[in-house]
Amino acid sequence: MRRVAVVAAGMTRFGVRQATYRDLIQEAGKAAFDSNKNILPKDIDSFILSSVFPERSVFQSHLACLAAESVGVRPHKFFGRVENMCGSGIVGIRTAYAAIVAGLSDLVMVMGAEKMNIPAPEEAVLNMMTGLDREWEGAYGLTAPPMFALAAQAHALKYGTTEEQLSRVSVKNHGHSKNNPFAQFQKGTSMEQVMCSKMIASPLRLFHCSSMSDGAAAVILASEERAKELTDKPIFIIGTGQAAHGYAVANFYRDMSHWPALKEAANDAYAMAGIGPDDIDFAEVHDCFSIAEIIAYEELGFCEKGEGGRFVEQGLSDYGGKVVVNPRGGLIGCGHPLGATGVAHAGEVFLQMRGEAGPRQVPGAKIALSHTNSGPGEHHILIYQKGF
Amino acid sequence: MEQPYIHILDPYPQQAPEQNRLHPFYDFVREGKLTTTRCKKCGTLPWPPRVVCPQCMSDELEWAEMPREGTIYTFTAQEAGLPPGYALPTIFALIDLPNGVRLLSVIEESELSEIKSGATVEFIVKHVPNDRVMPAFRIKR
Repeated sequence: MRRVAVVAAGMTRFGVRQATYRDLIQEAGKAAFDSNKNILPKDIDSFILSSVFPERSVFQSHLACLAAESVGVRPHKFFGRVENMCGSGIVGIRTAYAAIVAGLSDLVMVMGAEKMNIPAPEEAVLNMMTGLDREWEGAYGLTAPPMFALAAQAHALKYGTTEEQLSRVSVKNHGHSKNNPFAQFQKGTSMEQVMCSKMIASPLRLFHCSSMSDGAAAVILASEERAKELTDKPIFIIGTGQAAHGYAVANFYRDMSHWPALKEAANDAYAMAGIGPDDIDFAEVHDCFSIAEIIAYEELGFCEKGEGGRFVEQGLSDYGGKVVVNPRGGLIGCGHPLGATGVAHAGEVFLQMRGEAGPRQVPGAKIALSHTNSGPGEHHILIYQKGF
Repeated sequence: MEQPYIHILDPYPQQAPEQNRLHPFYDFVREGKLTTTRCKKCGTLPWPPRVVCPQCMSDELEWAEMPREGTIYTFTAQEAGLPPGYALPTIFALIDLPNGVRLLSVIEESELSEIKSGATVEFIVKHVPNDRVMPAFRIKR
């Protein structure tokens, strides 16, 4: 099987940006090309755009070639747009990976982009509703916070996970994003600030939630052969997995504190890479809400089932612990421009493996896991390995 | 902006026979009945209802009435960040019916202090704009 390497990566600052959708795409494209001067837009043969609802937020469909043209790329081997709600970024990278493995492409740009903040803020919330089962569940006004709150309640009932433990995740990730100039939030936070923040959907408070953010991120993937011509610092994708257990929230799992689809996706990726959870140096995990990071520790095998709250409380997911989780600051610290998030994970992997992550550098990082979800029932995993 | 900023999303399902093959579901809700489809070939009782059985792909389905009472698995009271047009707070809950079906719905006409995991709830009809209906629940009286 052909091996696939990340050879370039870059991103915009995330946040409430004074920039259009196309501005963001161009910023991320430039950042990716700037990261590897051996690659020019004309060299890219394929292009994948990961983006969730520009039809509503910027009133534009037919987007892959819009994005490609914006960054000077004329795709002629393989292209299209990927939409899979919050996990779209990883799904885009997996799609590009598969195209290279299949021999359909040698050099692909994957762009993740989202413009979420629009002149009518209430419309941004409406847009988030389109990602749920609208006819049977979304029509009640359901969006992500109450969906994850239902899982948080289930985890608290079964394992006694506390509001303080949920808050530890937010304090850790805001602490990490303080060292990330591309993050939406760079001031850090305190337990008091988190636990006194506004209640959104019990037990989740404002600081337990990631924010609606504008941003874009781009990576360039190459076949191993092509990568050799372009860089002496390739980062290989060595494992990947994906699983969905239902679409309606009611049909995910009988026990909402267990996310077997995540375990299944992770185990497939570990098996493909020939490694286990103990081999992971750092993980970019989908902390759309703090409970999601706690359950991810467990399903990824970083700790025993039910121990996620204690794992973060004991500092085991931080620098000096067992595995650094979300050194970038996670979705809670960086913001969550849906389609861009999984691609931004790859950007963090690119910096960390090259030792260019500055004050948030994970010492000696060689193997990293990236996880995104599209709700508690759907999960996507990539495992990256330093190739130099 | 000189022109009004146009934003509209009709969040409620279309319920007329011209628009939706599952329109009887909503007619039953108006009559105070909670239903789903049962496959005549293999007996599968999926939620939500279908026009094709997801187990055996048969399109011979019949409407089956479901229990009117269930228990709350978990719930959440959303106090901020709801889409425009929705009441604050909205109580979302996963509700287990005795026939094995689980629904996500809202709990209305109930005191917040009564809403607990394990509490018994009963089906009620929720009226939504343009003469449409959705199933909802309240704490059993």
